[in-house]
This record gives sequence, structure tokens and C-alpha cells, in this order.
Amino acid sequence: MNGHVKSMYFQQFMQLATTLLTVLLLMAVNSTRTVAASRNQQCGNSLQQTLKLSRLTQKESVDLIKTYKASQGEMSELICKVSVNNVPDPNISGLEPSERIASIYTHLQAFLPHFKRVYEQQTDLQLPTSPLLTELTRISARSRSLAAVVNSFYQIIFPNLPLPEPAGGATTLPPPQNIFQQKVYGCVVLKTYKEFLSNVSRELRTIKSKVCRRRIPINTSFF
Amino acid sequence: MVSARVLQLLWLAFLSALLTRGENENHLVVAPQSPVLEMGTTFTATCMIINTAEITSDDLYWNLSKTIIPREQYTKVNRSALNVTISVSNENCEWLFCLCKEVSASIALNKGRFIHGILLKKGYRPVKPENLTCVALQEKIYISSIITCRWDSVGRQTKDVPTKYTLYLTVTLPGEHFNKTTTENRAQITFSMFPSFMELDIWVVAHNQLGAVESEHLKKESDCFVKTNPPADVRVISERSFPTSLLINWTRPIDKGLMGLTYQIRFSKNASQSWTYVPRGETSNDIQSFRIQNLQPDTVYVTQVRCKNAKESYCHWSDWTHGVTKRTPEDRPTGKPDLWAIISQGDAMNERRVQIVCKDPVFANGWIIGFDIKIQGQKGKVMNGSLKWERIPVNRSEEDYHPTQRKFDVLKDIQLPDRKSVKVEVIAVNSVGASATASLVVPEKGHERSPVEALRIWTQGGQLWLEWKPPNKSALSEYVVEWVSDNQVDWQRENRSTRLTAIKGNLKRFVCYSVSVYPIYSGWPGKAAKMEAYLEQEAPLKGPDVRLNGKPGRTHAELVWTEISARERRGFITNYTIFYSSDTKHTVVVPANTTSYTLTSLSGNTKYDICIGASTIAGLTIGSTHSFTTLKYEDGVIEFIVVGASLGFLFVVIMTLLLCVYKKDVIKRNFWPQIPNPGESTIGNWSPDYPLKAETPKENSLSGISVLNVDVCDAKCVFEEDKTSLSLKKDKYLSEEHSSGIGGSSCMSSPRQSVSDSDEGGDIADTTASTIQYSSVVASSGYKGQTPSTQPQQAVFSRSESTQPLLDCEENPDMQEVSRQSQHFPTQSCFTHATGNKDGNIRLEAEQQNEPLNFCLLDKRLPTEEQSPDWLPVTPASSYMPQLGGYRPQ
Repeated sequence: MNGHVKSMYFQQFMQLATTLLTVLLLMAVNSTRTVAASRNQQCGNSLQQTLKLSRLTQKESVDLIKTYKASQGEMSELICKVSVNNVPDPNISGLEPSERIASIYTHLQAFLPHFKRVYEQQTDLQLPTSPLLTELTRISARSRSLAAVVNSFYQIIFPNLPLPEPAGGATTLPPPQNIFQQKVYGCVVLKTYKEFLSNVSRELRTIKSKVCRRRIPINTSFF
Repeated sequence: MVSARVLQLLWLAFLSALLTRGENENHLVVAPQSPVLEMGTTFTATCMIINTAEITSDDLYWNLSKTIIPREQYTKVNRSALNVTISVSNENCEWLFCLCKEVSASIALNKGRFIHGILLKKGYRPVKPENLTCVALQEKIYISSIITCRWDSVGRQTKDVPTKYTLYLTVTLPGEHFNKTTTENRAQITFSMFPSFMELDIWVVAHNQLGAVESEHLKKESDCFVKTNPPADVRVISERSFPTSLLINWTRPIDKGLMGLTYQIRFSKNASQSWTYVPRGETSNDIQSFRIQNLQPDTVYVTQVRCKNAKESYCHWSDWTHGVTKRTPEDRPTGKPDLWAIISQGDAMNERRVQIVCKDPVFANGWIIGFDIKIQGQKGKVMNGSLKWERIPVNRSEEDYHPTQRKFDVLKDIQLPDRKSVKVEVIAVNSVGASATASLVVPEKGHERSPVEALRIWTQGGQLWLEWKPPNKSALSEYVVEWVSDNQVDWQRENRSTRLTAIKGNLKRFVCYSVSVYPIYSGWPGKAAKMEAYLEQEAPLKGPDVRLNGKPGRTHAELVWTEISARERRGFITNYTIFYSSDTKHTVVVPANTTSYTLTSLSGNTKYDICIGASTIAGLTIGSTHSFTTLKYEDGVIEFIVVGASLGFLFVVIMTLLLCVYKKDVIKRNFWPQIPNPGESTIGNWSPDYPLKAETPKENSLSGISVLNVDVCDAKCVFEEDKTSLSLKKDKYLSEEHSSGIGGSSCMSSPRQSVSDSDEGGDIADTTASTIQYSSVVASSGYKGQTPSTQPQQAVFSRSESTQPLLDCEENPDMQEVSRQSQHFPTQSCFTHATGNKDGNIRLEAEQQNEPLNFCLLDKRLPTEEQSPDWLPVTPASSYMPQLGGYRPQ
């Protein structure tokens, strides 16, 4: 066997290896694209679900404020204009989408104890059959659902980024209040929550155009 | 399986350990305890002997529901254990006992220690539930927090091993779990709030003591389980400028934030049950109005809407809204009016009555207010006297306005000569405008073009179907199918290619229709092909009424009956059946075109019941029954017999008369023998000792007859007055002479009893035996035994007081007859007088007063009392002895 023959074998081996490598490369690209498409669809669906739920919650919060005002008797407009401390900030914090989504989640969690307190206070003030109690229950449950959906959405778009827990630890609730203070407190909580939800809806619409689309080019450019 | 056996053995060991502790321990133990068995499988139980060596497993036996299980099903494990294997086939709960034979007295005494049983519960393994569906209803503006799920339970279960179902529901994202267990096939789960936009995972687990099985999972977004209310405030708007469309508006039943909705719209013409659905593609999501197009003008439509979640195609539809009714605006008629002519016999000869009739156009598109008509003659002359159109208004009720069946209006009723044809043009007019012109020619009679061929009519599917072959004419434009019944006419048009069609009119069952098919040649009707048909036939409403034509004969009778009226016929008469019966029943079937029939071979003098049944293909109806009796004799037989008998009698009479005439001398000689002329006789030659008279018995030697008049009270009088003469009278009564005297007639010829006075006569006879025959009649006012009356001789009379023989009478029979009659009448009258009074006193008085009246005529001739003895001795002896004797039986 001479050197020419050896060189020919080597060339054949190299051709075969190149072909094989090309095939593997194509398969990998195709697989990545499929995964990316699937993830992108998942992102869109989850975002859509979050958006719908936030809108619904916002609408229900609007209805709840109307019901709340109607059930507080006279001076209902007045009590809703008083400001109260220790109520979560309606603004969404953070710069990156991950931070802002995490902020949404933490805010939703932060409102839950307040809803519980308002419910307890209003249970003493309202009849058991009052629609306000029902709606307070609903808004509380809806907030939990929305928090769960936001959490899910976050997990989808940032699978390797853990959702941070609330920075300030447990939510601070107001001290014991008189009836007027209770009424004012309840209204402020609900108004703040409504405002927060409005911000959430806006934020999610913004994220919709950023997050789900952005990940596709990232994945594609990787290859 | 092995582990089960191990467990069973362990359980046995545990049980035996427990049982050995007690003093009153049981010596038999069965394992497994309280098993639940699956139907269709086999089960093995083990019986173990503990704490005794008195018995072995050979002494054991099994009992299932009080029945000993055959030994073939036993398996001996060892000396102290015995298995039994049974198949589980019966659903009922059963006891399985292990028992011991009484091999010793101690076993017999302690039976309770040598028995152990287990209860076998049987059941079926659960089967996977199918068709799981869940629904959450809308509640006010929200969705109910209760979700209701249903499923189909599959498979069987027993009451001992019931199957339970557990409904599981998981809200995926927050990870909330709910479940509800039930024995039914539905369950409800209540949330604190309906989890909108969350994914739900729902499934059902069927489980019992034999196992568990899970249904398919329903994993959907929660909104898909929502069944909303139907759309609210549905309004339908009719716009005059759009006569073929309707605009529908509604309000969504639930907030858009809760659920996006898609809608479905359907509509139907009023009173129609068939719905037209608007294609789903035309109703985009979350709309709240829709315009339905391509509708018919001036038509009432019912519209409905429903909705469902727009996201998923398999979500629940809401119920339909209530139907909203709206009429589309009017439009001018589209198409032509349906013009036709009904032709019948005219009032005058060579004339036809033509009724121009017209139906509204199929699409009248509004209220037809009238028809414009123009009738042109053969040469362009306008028949109705004007070149302009004539407006014929029509006035209709609401019912006529939109009838289910198109009715027609009679526009004109004209008399048209047979030899003339006219062309009719008609336009239908409504409030919006006029239709196109319809025209029709009524051709001359006999000049119609050729008809269709091979017309055939039959019933199928509740309709009357027609089939025909077209005439061989190329100018054919269409066909008109006309049907007539009870002077009701209707028609329909078919296009030129039609060969087979069904009558679309509302035909009645059991009514005869005359169906005609007219080919139309460019507006010229051709000759009709006609047939009669029924939509459906049944037995006639009544049978024919039968009667006899004339009188029945001895063996025949002619029956006639009338045809059943068309209204009562209810079908084509196929035949008539004649039923007639006397002792036996007979039937005769005659064709349908027969209305009379002569029954023959009947029995004479027999009553027959007849009735006639008329048959259609659907049945037979029998008419009223008529009865008649056949004659005993045929007509003329009696007359023949009477005439024959009369002729025979006449013949006999004539022959007798002839015989009398021709044999007069012989007859005379026989009946009236020659009596010697007394003038020529020599009395001196006559010997009184004529031996014949001397030998004649007393009774028979009567030469004269005395008639004794006996009254009703005779017997009484006899007893009272002359009992001594009883025997004598008895003899006389026995004779019971009702008449006497020569010639058979006398004054005493009456039903009254008369007695021949033979005893007195006997003496007389003796004395007059030698005299020539005289008739001597004794009339007595009393009776024989009576005490002699004051005028005893007055009652005695003789036919002739003369001793002269009857020569004169014999020679002059006419005179004798006159004499007899003159004798007869007064007697009868007197006798009648006497018997006519029932009262005895009156009669007695009459007899006393009118005694002469009784024998008034004879009285003068009667001899006096003094004369009697004079003539008695000279009474000639009768020469007619046989005659005397012959009177007796009278």
C-alpha cells in the first residue's frame, strides 16, 4: 500500500466525517428551532392568559370599588380620598422585564394580607349576605390566581432565574382602627389595587412585544 | 398470586394462634375471612383443623348456601387442611361453611366447635367512566362558583360491592385540588371563585372493593366549561328600503373581560319548523349585530341567537334566545300570477261556461290588492268591451293573505261559444307594484292539441303521484295538473321536462279526485288526459240499500240496490257481495257495475234475510238487511187449480145435467117408481093380512111420523110430570129425529130435537099397515109425556088428512114443491119466533097464544080432534119401508 492510496483513504474518511457532521448539525438546528418555537408558543399563551386575567381582575376591582362605596353609606366619596400608610405601592419596580414581572408577583402577594384584613373588617360592618363580602372574596382569590399565573409566566420566560421573595419580609398591616379608619383603609387598599392592576395590564402589553419575541432571535442567533 | 397465598396462610396462622387461647376454642378455621370475590372468577378457601387430633381433613366437607359442595372441588392440603375451589357465578351474597362429619360422639355433642363459615361478597370490577362533561353556569354577571360534572357509569355492580365515583378537579397553576365522592354519576365541586382563565384538570375515578379505574382527563381552560346565558335584548329591525333583509341586534350576556364570545344565528319562516343557520364564518367573534340577507319580502321570520366561548370550538353553547318574529318589508310581486280557466257546460247549446281564475304569484311579496285583466277575442277584439285593462279588486281576510294553500280568485265568468277562442292576460298588483303579465288562451272546442299519453296515478307516501308520457309536440311549454272533487278545483303547474310529479295540494283522504293533465303549448292548453283517483281508500261509509224488485217468486227473487253516493263511497267499489240466508247462509259476489241481481234456487215459503256489502280495496261495508218470504206456490198455480177445479165441477154438472136429460126416464123410474093408480086398484083384492106388515117390528112399522116438539126444559118436565114415561122418552130422544116427513122437509125440520112418535105410531101403524103410504106428522105443543093438553089434537097434523094416495103429488111435483114451501115458511117463522125468546115464560105464553101460529098454515088443514081417529085407522100402510128406515139416522 503506497502513500497515494493512504492519502485517498484519508480523504474518503474526511468526506464521510464532514457529511456526518453536517447532518448532525442540521438535526441540532432543527431541534433547537422546534424547541424554540414551542417555547415561544408557550410564552405567548402564558402571557395571553396573564393578560386576560389581569384585565379581568382589573375590571372586577373597578366593580368592587363601586360596590364598596355603595356599601359604606354616606361620605363614601370622601373616605376614598384620604390617604393611608402601609398600603403597597401601586407602581411596578425594576428595570429588566424579569425584575418587573417579579415586582408584579411580589405586589400581588403583598396585597393578599390587606384583602384579608379588609374582609375581616367589613365582615363586622356588613351583613353576611352583602355582595361586598362576596366580591372581596373573589378579588382575593383572583389575586392568588393572577399571582400563580404571573409566576408561571415568569418560569416560562426565565426558566433559570428564581423568582425573588418579597424584600421586606412579611407584609406590614395597619394597627387596630376605628370604623371610619377601617372604611378609609378598605377603600385605599382597593383603589391602590385597582391602580396597580392598571399598571400590570400596561406592563404586560409592553412585555408582550418584548419578551416572547425576543427569545426567538436569541435562540436562533445561538446557532 | 403467590403473595396472596402467603398472606392467606399467615392469616390462618394468626387466627389459629388467637383461637388456641380460648377454652371454648373452635377446631375449624376458614381463610380468607370475609373475602370480596369478583364475578366470573374462581375462589379457593382453606379449612384448617386446629387444637384437635380427633378429626382429619378427610372428615371435613364444605357447604355453600346449604348445599354440600362435591368432593371433586376439594383439595387436601395435608392431614389438617382442606381446600375448596368454587366458581363465582351468583351475584348474591353467600355463606361458605367448613363442617365436620360426626365421626365420634364428642363431635356430635360439640357441633358448634366443628363448624366455621365465611361470608362471600361478590361484585364486579369497576369500569372506566365515560363521557365526562362539566359545566359551570353563568350566574348574574359572573360565572357560578359551582361546577357540575356528569359521566356515564359503565359496567355492572352489585349491592354488596357498590361502585363509588370520586370526581377530582385540579386548578393547575395554583395547584388547588378538589374532589367529591358519590355513588351517582354526577357531582358538583364548589370553588371560592370560578377560576377564570385557569387550566382545569378534571377526571373521575370509579372504585370499589375490587379495584379502581380512572376516566379520561378533561384538561381545558376553565372558561370552556362555562355555559353562558343566551344573548340578551335581541331585536330584529325591518327596514323598508331593504325588503329582503332583517337586521338583528343583541347584547352580550357576559362581560368581555370574562369571556370572548362567538355567536350562531338561525331563522325560519313563520310556522315553519325548518331552521336556516347563518354560516359560522359570517358571524365574527364578539359581534352584537348581524344583517340576514336574501330573505323573501313580506314574509314573517323567526330569529334566534346563541353564543359560546370564542376560544374553543368544543365549549358549551348557550341556550337559544326566544324567537323574535319580524316581517320583511313588502316588494312588488316577482313572477307571474297563476292564470287558469275552468271550462264547463254553458247555459245554451254550443256554448261553454269559462271561469277565468287566478292565483297570486308564488312570490306575491305583499298584499295583492287586485288583478288587471284583459280578454281578447279571436281577431284582437277585446271581449270585456275596452281596450284598457280592467282592474278586479280582491278583498281578502288575514287568513287568505298568507294561506298555507294558495287559493284562487274568480276574475271573470263568461259564456264562450264553442267555435270561439279568447286570449286572457292578467297582472297581479300589490301596494308596491305590479307583476309580470300572465296569459292564457281558451281554444275553440274540439280544436285542442294532443293530450299527454299513458297517464298513470298512484299513491305513495301520503301523496298522489302522476306519471305521463309527453305528447309528440315540440311547442310544449309546460303542464297543468288539475284536480277536481265535490266541485272544488285546484291546479298546479309543472315544467315541460316533468314526467313524474306529486300533487302538492292538500288532498283529502277517501275523496274521489278527477285528475287531469293539460299540456300547455305556448299558452294554449291541449286536450286533457283524465283519471279518477283516491289519495287513500277505505271501506264505504254505508252499504247499499237493497230492496226487491216486485214480489218474490217461489224460487227466485230479484234484488235491486242503488249505488252508494260518491261522498259515502270512500274508494273505488270493486264488487258487491250479496248475503242471503234462511237456515243456511249464502253469498254471491257480483261486479261493481251491477245494481240488480236475481236470486234463484230459493226454497218456497221460506223467509230470507238479504243484505248487500259494497267492497273497496280497503274493506267491505254491509248495508241494511231486508227480509222477504218466498211464495208457497208459484204465481198462477192457485189460479190454475181453481180454474181446473171449476172446469171439472162444471163438467160434472153438465154431464149430470146431460145424464138427467138423456136418462130422465131411467132416473124417474128409479126414484119415483110407478105407483099403481088407485083408480085402477081393486081394494077388495088387498089382503089386510099382508105378511110383511105383520112381521115388521113396531118401531119400524111406523107409517106416519109424529114430531114431538121438545123444549129445553123437557128433561125437567119429564122428571116432574111423568117419570113413568122416562124410559119411553129416552128411547125417543135417542132416536134424535131432526126431520121427518116425505121430502125431507117439514115444519119441524129444525135443529130442535124431534122424536118420532113411534110408540103411538105403533098402534097406528098396526091399524094402518094395510093402507097406502101416507105421511103423517104429529105436531105436539108439548112433549110426549106431558099431560094431555086442552087441545091435544090441534098439535097433531098430518101432511094429508086425506086417505088419498100421493098420486097427485107424484104426478105434479111442482105442485108438491109449492105445497112444501108453503108449508115450510110459516113453520120456520113460527119456530124462529118460538126459539128466539130465551125466556121460558115468554115462550110459553107465545106458545099458548100463538099455538095456531106455529102451525098456522097447516092449521086449516089439520084434522080436528074428532077427525083424527077417523083417518088414523085408514092410514095406508107404507110401501116405502126402506125410506122410513133411512130417515132415522137423519
